[in-house]
Amino acid sequence: MTTAERAAALALAAREFAPWLGEITAERLLELVHLELGSAGVLDGFVPRGAHRSRAFPRSPLVHIMSGNTPHAALQSILRGLLLGGRQRVKLPAAGLPELAAFVGAMPTILRESVEIRPDLPDAWMAEAGAVVVFGGDETIASIHRMLRPDQVFVPHGHRVSLGVIFAEVAASLEAAAREASLFDQHGCLSPHGFYVAGDARAYAAGLAAAMAAFQVHTPRRALVAGEAAGIRRVRDDVAFRAALGEDIALWVSDGGSSTVWTVIFDGVDSAFTASCLDRVVYVKPLPASLATALASVSAHLGAVGYWPPTPQAAERLVREGLRASRLCPLGTMQNPPLTWHQDGQPVLAPLVRWIDVE
Amino acid sequence: MSEEREIARRHLEARVTAAIEASLREPLERAAWNEIALAIHAFQLAHNAPYAAFARALGGGPPTDWRSIPAVPQSAFKRADLRTFSAAETQLTFYTSGTTGEGFGRHHFRSPDLYESSLRAAWRFAGLPVGRPHWILIPPASEALHSSLSHMMGALAPLASEQNWLAHRRDDALALDVTGLRDAAALAREPVILLGTALAFLALFEQLGERTMTLPAGSLAFETGGYKGSGREIAKDELYALFTRHFGLAPESVWNEYGMTELSTQAYANGLGGPHRPPPWLRALVIDPESGAEVAGGEVGLVRLFDLANVGSALAVQTQDLAVRRDGGTFELIGRDPRALPRGCSRAADELLQIRP
Repeated sequence: MTTAERAAALALAAREFAPWLGEITAERLLELVHLELGSAGVLDGFVPRGAHRSRAFPRSPLVHIMSGNTPHAALQSILRGLLLGGRQRVKLPAAGLPELAAFVGAMPTILRESVEIRPDLPDAWMAEAGAVVVFGGDETIASIHRMLRPDQVFVPHGHRVSLGVIFAEVAASLEAAAREASLFDQHGCLSPHGFYVAGDARAYAAGLAAAMAAFQVHTPRRALVAGEAAGIRRVRDDVAFRAALGEDIALWVSDGGSSTVWTVIFDGVDSAFTASCLDRVVYVKPLPASLATALASVSAHLGAVGYWPPTPQAAERLVREGLRASRLCPLGTMQNPPLTWHQDGQPVLAPLVRWIDVE
Repeated sequence: MSEEREIARRHLEARVTAAIEASLREPLERAAWNEIALAIHAFQLAHNAPYAAFARALGGGPPTDWRSIPAVPQSAFKRADLRTFSAAETQLTFYTSGTTGEGFGRHHFRSPDLYESSLRAAWRFAGLPVGRPHWILIPPASEALHSSLSHMMGALAPLASEQNWLAHRRDDALALDVTGLRDAAALAREPVILLGTALAFLALFEQLGERTMTLPAGSLAFETGGYKGSGREIAKDELYALFTRHFGLAPESVWNEYGMTELSTQAYANGLGGPHRPPPWLRALVIDPESGAEVAGGEVGLVRLFDLANVGSALAVQTQDLAVRRDGGTFELIGRDPRALPRGCSRAADELLQIRP
């Protein structure tokens, strides 16, 4: 298959997976190849490049080692691998990933047969890999890295945390903020753990609580196992106790406390980033004088920062803050990155090919 | 005010002590239990300012049933000094072991008397034998002033024929006296009780390697503390198999103690699969973390404890431990909430533990 044929087939298969992949078209896929590799046809034959001609070849087999958060990363990773061609080998997370098999199943036979999916990671996969893409925590990434030879390309995607910043027009942002904090129950690496808000952040938290409740009505949170719900109870109990002691902290909870489906915490005590225990537990903090200082502890793990109002000026203000986030985007679009985004600040196709130059 | 408060405290502690002693002979009536619990709650509302603020913030009227008494989260012991007496009157403070970022929990005592009475009575209530040698793999209180577990081991002395301390704090580390243990085992002629944290036992087994010891018939082991984020956890049945392998102790000869720095009373479980049975002055509810309501029998929830011996601090404590509700007020622990911060007595010992081959 040519790159264009693969792009067309992938776009067709991706239609049912828009919640995770966004709107995929063949043109956009070819645009991605062009942007990353310099030419949409460079995988199909030699093309002029400076004073010579070059052709890119997929590093094959490409091994994808998936984590268990959401299907986003897995679907995007396999989409990119298949767009380049070559064999794909996918190691599933322990909890499985049915969306991935469904996505592959929606493809034409020739693409489908180029994909192997397993729950384990055979030694042979690592030995034969041209490149390995791994999603997971620092420990997982380090252990996989140790298994590779120097000639094998290693593309790690560690855990990321994301957040939102509301500079102005706060009331207008509530619906978007609630949506961001509720989508995928915060399990995506682009899901916000909390929001920094200019002005009356406590009032904003109250408004966000109402918006979270409204979102819950039409899009209920998934059911939790006891350990997960217990984690939310623990956070709530601690905040409630601190609030009772008179600390500048407050709590809004779903259904008067008889459920855990959403939780909003206003924290005026500590401006440093607080990681949520997820599943729609979100922190609201006053916008500090220096965001970079407040986010110092997670600087190396920042994913997306959503801004409001959705204006270039707001984006510029974030840029001036000097954050190490790889993606700045309007609130409301955090979890729908464009196909061409630099995931974790890196090219997504370029590391997965090797080149032959003819002079 | 202080004098009135002290009289009231002594009166309550005397009531609880009497109830503890009586409950070892005959069941404690529900109405009597409720009455004491509500009296302690009222006392704590009056004299424990952080607790009173918390209870007020939760709203609701005065409870008429012990189940409705507001339970402080365990983290409250880190956030505030929960005591019904002044700092100057504090005779004893236990600290929780190190946690990540939130500091130490503090459990203050006006006097150790009720605490020590409770723990000895809980031992007897569980049916653990009295008058045997205790071989202890926990440093003595003289080396760990603020460890509730070290204090507890010392307070068990009246129930032991002798105490042999086989772990010591050296250069901020815990050293197990394996040679002393082997020598003691070689000489032992009467059944002994070996006491330690699960982590200390695990370290001991690692140090023993393939070596085994024969303990006199009828000997027991007492393990406590869990692993709590140490990264060295093994399944309970595997741990108990190591007791069998190294000491010849069947699982039925191993007891688990469920206690915590924030409490004054412990619950015990025997062997594998046996539920923890609190003594009559300690009651447990298993709470559905989703709804906050008590779960039905056989279901999983968070353990909420009501300890009458906690007169000086907080009667009701919401733990981070998950358990299955079993019959008769018992519960079967299934481990700490995986999102809870690592903590616990066992961890404190492990933080000190140096493996010395």
